Amino acid sequence: MKAAKKKAVAVLSTMALVTGLLAGCGSDEGQAAEGGVQNVSIAIAQVGDVPSKGNEVQQKIEAYTNTKLDIQWIPASAYNDKINVMIASSDMPKIVKVQYNPTVTSAMRNDVFWEVGPLLKDYKNLSAQNERFFNNIKVEGKIYGVPVFSDIARATVIYRKDWFEKLNLKVPTTPDEWYETIKTLATSDPDGDGQDNTFGLMLFKKYNEDQYSFTTRLGVSFGAPNKWKVEDDGSFTPEFMTPEYMQVLDLLKRLYSEKLLNQDFAVFDSTEAEKKYDSGVVGMRVGVAQNGKSQQERLSKNDPDGVVDIAGLLGANGDRVAGQTGNSGILAFPKATVKSEEELKNLLSFLDKLMDPEMATLLMRGIEDKHYKKAGEDQVEMSDFDAFQREVKPYRDNLPYVEGYNVPKLKDTELGEKGTDLAKELAEHAVPNPALTLYSPTYGDRGADLDQMIADAQTKYIMGKIDENGWKQEIENWANAGGTKIREEYAEDYKKQAQ
Amino acid sequence: MQQDKTWGNRIFDIVNHGLLLLIGIVTVIPFIYILAVSFTSPHEVAKGGFILFPKEFSLAAYRYIFSTDTLIRSLGVSIYITVIGTLLNLLFTSLMAYPLSRRYLRGRQPILLGVLFTMLFSGGMIPTYFVVKSLHLTDTLWSLMLPTAISAFNLIVLKNFFQAIPDELEDAAKIDGCNDVGVLFRIVLPLSMPAMATFSLFYAVAHWNSFFNAVIYINDSEKWPVQVWLREIVILAQSRIGDTSIEETEIQPLTIRMAVIVFSTIPIMLVYPFLQKHFAKGVMLGSVKG
Repeated sequence: MKAAKKKAVAVLSTMALVTGLLAGCGSDEGQAAEGGVQNVSIAIAQVGDVPSKGNEVQQKIEAYTNTKLDIQWIPASAYNDKINVMIASSDMPKIVKVQYNPTVTSAMRNDVFWEVGPLLKDYKNLSAQNERFFNNIKVEGKIYGVPVFSDIARATVIYRKDWFEKLNLKVPTTPDEWYETIKTLATSDPDGDGQDNTFGLMLFKKYNEDQYSFTTRLGVSFGAPNKWKVEDDGSFTPEFMTPEYMQVLDLLKRLYSEKLLNQDFAVFDSTEAEKKYDSGVVGMRVGVAQNGKSQQERLSKNDPDGVVDIAGLLGANGDRVAGQTGNSGILAFPKATVKSEEELKNLLSFLDKLMDPEMATLLMRGIEDKHYKKAGEDQVEMSDFDAFQREVKPYRDNLPYVEGYNVPKLKDTELGEKGTDLAKELAEHAVPNPALTLYSPTYGDRGADLDQMIADAQTKYIMGKIDENGWKQEIENWANAGGTKIREEYAEDYKKQAQ
Repeated sequence: MQQDKTWGNRIFDIVNHGLLLLIGIVTVIPFIYILAVSFTSPHEVAKGGFILFPKEFSLAAYRYIFSTDTLIRSLGVSIYITVIGTLLNLLFTSLMAYPLSRRYLRGRQPILLGVLFTMLFSGGMIPTYFVVKSLHLTDTLWSLMLPTAISAFNLIVLKNFFQAIPDELEDAAKIDGCNDVGVLFRIVLPLSMPAMATFSLFYAVAHWNSFFNAVIYINDSEKWPVQVWLREIVILAQSRIGDTSIEETEIQPLTIRMAVIVFSTIPIMLVYPFLQKHFAKGVMLGSVKG
């Protein structure tokens, strides 16, 4: 009897389990649009905390654009994996934020996303933006989405104005001036504590990687190309084979051998370098225009008398700034879910509306009297920056906006405003990377390894572990390992697109 | 246990205790550090230095992480998938392990080979995603529990454990009128409590730590377990912090990161002492029995 009861329990619980499973699978996503309201599902990156559903910012966006938003936040820790899974399984919302990387560009090449290039001219805000934003996301000359705009060029020198004045220095432009300035900052005790504890410049281990590379930024100001140079005959030369770029390496080599540069830069973590700058023992750095203000804030905590200023990273040959991609992702429209061109147009006009004055102000400044308040004619002031970071920034960082477009000016510290203005001005002098949108299968396959090879060789050269011949040998190795092929593929694709 | 210890013995004891104490301290200090930092005021931490006891006690970090219900809700999700998931794991694993442990079961070898095969070769992320999706499990918490319901390794160890239980017990039970299900639930499982305790710990910790599946299978952020948040807040903050040239990303202060670690680690640490005594007997108990 008892046994039978227990058996019944076992059977029942198994059945309950199975029905539970089935019940869990029931829900379906088919919701129809009600009363002209458009359903927009978006997959975008999580920024900080995920805002709660139906929060005020989202409500305002929905009300203005007449949509019902369904936002899927993807944590950065697995962003690309998730996007890859989504692309592979065609399981995508109507708008997906993707990065310009080999998986995505090959998906674009394979018609996974709608091409929007020819349609863009019909949207007043999107078409008003600098053409370069769109050129930088082209794949085989076609545009497959709307960029999440970011500055095209922003490299500046961030320096200790008080030290520079004390030592009678000016912002350097040529390799020799850079050497002299760094040497003076390191050796003549600008902080006046009688100890030899200051640096002119500090490097950390990723100094020559990615579009944020210190060497590229400095090299461009000396006249080197931005990553790749197109020769007159249409062939491609990597930056590290140009004499102008070598000036940077020679400068660093000289600084290193004279112990004017931190000797452990090859393994120095960027976090540590950051702390050194904050504690006020380093004289200058190459950074982003907008960083000047935050640098000043952090420095003031440790050194109340410290004064930070910024200046464009300008060379003797005129203004040259290394251009960047100009976006922090692309909002693309998958063909699997966006069924008709009609729907595509609706989605584009949704994004376009987000750049109208009312929405641009919401995204960049927040809600009046909650995040910002008026400060004079067409100028506003942040009143609750923490709340802005938590409630508004997650939306702003993922949707199209351009600082200074359709938005009231922000009252800021002098340095903060200078940074904003400078970033704008620098865009005029941006030197683009000509290979940015070119297609090289070899680079897609082995680019990361090849880049690393050269990055390591540069470190060895600066540290004096290899001489000029050794460096030439490393370039030779790079060329044989696939470098030459990349050069050829770029040249070929460049020729094809120029036609 | 005589009193007549030689000097050699005593020195050995002292060195031994000293060494173990040292290892103990080294293991515990990071936890104390994390706990201390989470209770210290942010500007005290910003000054730098190593903190083992908060000089300026502050609950600011905890106030911040509890200012929204995100973390509490995700803790609930984690507890749910850990409890339910572990129960499912134990049920399914023993239901499969028991038959496989019976030598008279026909077709046992091919099935075991099949299990072994999955240990060596996996389908990969995207095919697995297709399976989960076509079963309509995406965006449900089942997607975190069912695909991992049986771990091949644990299954094989449990099978060996069951195998070590004498066949005579089963025969006796059958003579007394027990059927196969009865044998499993009334004879075999009660005899396997140490193994079950061990595997529930294995499974529970795995569920507690699961984050990747959650990111891939679950779109609705309200269903994320606590580890997704932990990873986002702690690991990304570390990897991004110095890259000044990248757009200024929001970086959570150290105190908040530490508070989140404390918050998400303590529940599973509370479980450990209760299972530890079984754990000490070990998984391998079964293999040397008899």
